[in-house]
Amino acid sequence: MLSFIGRSIVQKTVTLFFVSVVSFLIIHLAPGEPSQVDPLNPKFTPEMVERFQKAFHLDKPLYVQYVYFYRDLFAGRSVSWRDNQSVLAKIWERFLNSLPLFIVGTLITWTLSFPIGIRAAIFRGGLYDRSTTFVAYLLISIPGFFFAYLLIIVVVNSFHVPVIGMETFGLGEAPWPSLFMDRIWHLLLPSVLGATGGIAVLSRYVRAQMLEVEGQDYIRTARAKGLPPEQVHYKHALRNALLPFVTMFGLILPGLIGGSVIIESIFSWPGMGRMAYEAILARDYPVILTVNFVSAVLVLAGTFISDLLYLVVDPRIRL
Amino acid sequence: MTVRRVLIFAPTAVILFLLQSYFWVPTYEEGTRANPARLHEYITASIGDATVLNPVLSADSASSDIESMVFEGLIDRDEALRFRGRLATSWQIYEEAFFYVNEHVSIPGVGRAGGPAVADLLQRARGRDFPANPKVKASLENIEQIVVIPAREFLVTRRGKEVKGQEKTEVKIRVQAPARIKLVLSQVDQDLFKNLSAILGKAYFASFSGQDDLTIDGEAWQREKPEYAQEILPATEHNPIVVFHLRPGVRFHDGHLFGANDVKFTYEAIMDPKNLSPRIADYEPVKHVEVVDPLTVRIVYNRLYSPALGTWGMGILPEHLLNDEAMQAEALRLGKDPATFSMRESSFNRHPTGCGPFVFQEWKSDQYIVLKRFQDYWEGPPNYERYTYRIVPDLLTQEMEFYAGTIDSYSVRPHQVKRLEDDPKYQSFSGLSFGYTYIGYNMRREPFKDPRVRRALGMAIDVEKIIDFVLYGQGERITGPFVKQTDYYNAGLQPLPYDPQGALTLLEEAGWSRDRDGWLEKDGKKFQFTLITNNGNDLRKAVLAIAQDAWRKIGIDVRTDLLEWSVFIQERVDKGDFDALVLGWRMGIEPDLYQIWHSSQTHPHQLNFVGFQDQEADDLIMKIRQEYDHDRQVAYCHRLHEIIARAQPYTFLYVSKWTAVLDKRIVIRDRDSEGRPVYKQITPTQTGNFTFYFNKWIKLAEVPYLTAEG
Repeated sequence: MLSFIGRSIVQKTVTLFFVSVVSFLIIHLAPGEPSQVDPLNPKFTPEMVERFQKAFHLDKPLYVQYVYFYRDLFAGRSVSWRDNQSVLAKIWERFLNSLPLFIVGTLITWTLSFPIGIRAAIFRGGLYDRSTTFVAYLLISIPGFFFAYLLIIVVVNSFHVPVIGMETFGLGEAPWPSLFMDRIWHLLLPSVLGATGGIAVLSRYVRAQMLEVEGQDYIRTARAKGLPPEQVHYKHALRNALLPFVTMFGLILPGLIGGSVIIESIFSWPGMGRMAYEAILARDYPVILTVNFVSAVLVLAGTFISDLLYLVVDPRIRL
Repeated sequence: MTVRRVLIFAPTAVILFLLQSYFWVPTYEEGTRANPARLHEYITASIGDATVLNPVLSADSASSDIESMVFEGLIDRDEALRFRGRLATSWQIYEEAFFYVNEHVSIPGVGRAGGPAVADLLQRARGRDFPANPKVKASLENIEQIVVIPAREFLVTRRGKEVKGQEKTEVKIRVQAPARIKLVLSQVDQDLFKNLSAILGKAYFASFSGQDDLTIDGEAWQREKPEYAQEILPATEHNPIVVFHLRPGVRFHDGHLFGANDVKFTYEAIMDPKNLSPRIADYEPVKHVEVVDPLTVRIVYNRLYSPALGTWGMGILPEHLLNDEAMQAEALRLGKDPATFSMRESSFNRHPTGCGPFVFQEWKSDQYIVLKRFQDYWEGPPNYERYTYRIVPDLLTQEMEFYAGTIDSYSVRPHQVKRLEDDPKYQSFSGLSFGYTYIGYNMRREPFKDPRVRRALGMAIDVEKIIDFVLYGQGERITGPFVKQTDYYNAGLQPLPYDPQGALTLLEEAGWSRDRDGWLEKDGKKFQFTLITNNGNDLRKAVLAIAQDAWRKIGIDVRTDLLEWSVFIQERVDKGDFDALVLGWRMGIEPDLYQIWHSSQTHPHQLNFVGFQDQEADDLIMKIRQEYDHDRQVAYCHRLHEIIARAQPYTFLYVSKWTAVLDKRIVIRDRDSEGRPVYKQITPTQTGNFTFYFNKWIKLAEVPYLTAEG
């Protein structure tokens, strides 16, 4: 067990190093310059561009820039080129904004997918099963932004309440329960939209997994024993079908920092996705690379956690 | 069974909890329309967030929107685009001109002369008539004072040019400067020295060389001697001077009195290399800024550069909050190294203090920026109590918020103009933007070297149709490189007619004829080229397709290509590697065309990438940027416009029109002589700027019935 953890940490550190090198290279090989050294701004003289390049160390060889960047990052000193704000502080602020969206979205996805998928599996081939299949594929194929616009227009026009942003604009001084509930309301639409794709996919998985388990010999045995169908489905089948999902739980961790550019832009949500997107447009390397690095760390941590979880829930696996 | 119950109960609970929050949220009706405070607040929206709220450091439009409310410049432009005083009450422009006495040439009728003799000669020449050239008399009359600066000796050190493998060395130069004459002129006169040579002889200025007056130690630098001589001892020098008289009693938002030291400080902050200001190029011609007294600043320029006056519209920073002492204190407070700490890192950039009409209050990144009115604003406080700048990155969302009343203005997209223009709930404004779209031809390459070919290509395209169908009618034709609303634009010129037959005739004159398949051909070679533009701009993409189709119709084989922006710029435009391209320029009001049209700017990475070269145009471009008299500048611009329109290095296509809608309840509230409020409708200025009187705007509870005047 300990040796597994040790080995896995070493492996992941090596992977992380390669990720850092590759992402650094890709960003610097991509065409385009940081907007501060934009050569097409007619007001910029070559001397100014040179001075900016010096200030950002862009005149140094790539490996030196690499060392500088990660030194600053680990010392917590790296600043965004666009506004000179500390990158870590910026990411933390955005992370806190994206977090509620992520939590509510995940909550909706995971609580809804299971009942939908299980019922579809139990009544396989029935009307309910076929209609959920249809709706699931519909949700997967409709582009998120289109769905978002439809929802906004319907809600705004028929309920006359604001849905944009993190809170009702200009609410001012109100008692804290209404401020809290106002925030919940503003979470509703974007997180439902963020969850639709997840629900569609996850409920399909649940259904497939249930079907597979229901076909097993021990389920037939359980039925043959004369157990009530409910006990067969929810105790014998469901528990075994759950195994793969436990591991998936670790993998949703990277979603914490990803955020959704489209949903956040449409709902004016000041989240991670929008910040990363704008950083890419402005070629704000410190922000892009830090977000990239943090998400790489989360991906690796996520796989590590799911390995551990598997170990805990599946008694057949021993290391 | 519990599992089943949990499975059903959990999602139901989550969803019910989320849905019940609806009952806690105020509707738009309660939140905006029924809220009396809403009438005293103006809310506008922007796609992007500001980056740095410091006019010296920022370069994006969202930041400058806020800065224009929080900060104030010395001058700005009035309704007719003339300069008017803001923090400055008035200003004077005059000139000090210098030339070295050239004792190596003889002056006609006098012979070789020293400083006092030359001064005396000029003194005597004043009042004389020059029938051959009346301009000489005018130039002489313009001279107010003649001073002789005696010869002197001094030492200068210059950084030597970098030689590979060697350290940078300092070059010590001993200079024995000859006597110099200083002329104080009441007005800037760019032709002064040309006119003075009528008295002093044609070669007097041209033949002066300071080389013999320099002594440089070290063999290695002798070769650079002419360069150093040119720099240290220029034969002639124009020093235009602007004196600003500042408004007394103006205060910053923190109560500190504004004064000349703030102006000087703002200039120095821009020039400080530590600050990496993107505006440094604008102020490079400034020699120095002097504080004459607390309410007078004197700005001396090292050469003639008329666009320089406009740069003083720049917001003035408060010195007492940003000077070295304040920076050191802030660095210590934040635990940073005071030696490297610069204005770029200061928290001022997120909490600015200026002397504009609105005081900064709060900034939530990517959400909103809130300003409140400044009670002590020198022109009287604005009518609105609050100004809110919301960041709404999605246009459709902006539109929905506008209809709901949580945003007061909305920039209409071209296809919506017809629908919203006549809506009784809104008032709409429209105007031309400061920029144009064009097709540029690489004039270094065949067949574009021939002006007839370029003209023919322009005539083959139906620009009216582009405006009608691509821009939904929201555009106007343009014939040249100046802003169409200004008087620099030569309105007498007609755009190229749409005439494919005429185009074919012109091409025939140029030697192109149609072959059996209908393609144009010259000396056995087909007329074939590639038209490119950048990816991601739908309008340019449409123009690309329309031009290709129009040219195919007259027998030209055009290929098209769309490239990613940075590849497009770096690989094709910067390197001059293209046949023809669709692109647009955004312009300022100043008519300085040096970077885009001067023949010296045709090298790689420069902006005259089409390779336009014309001697007369070059002269005019130089004259325009050195001329301080508006009328003469206008005359030069009209001529330059004509030359460029005749040469057709670009096919000038269109300027697009913008339209903005506002709630109809927003009006102008002024006070009459007895202090009673007078309500007026908002009217745009000549250039279409409807926010010009923003400080007088207010929102009423009901749609008012107003007559057009009063």
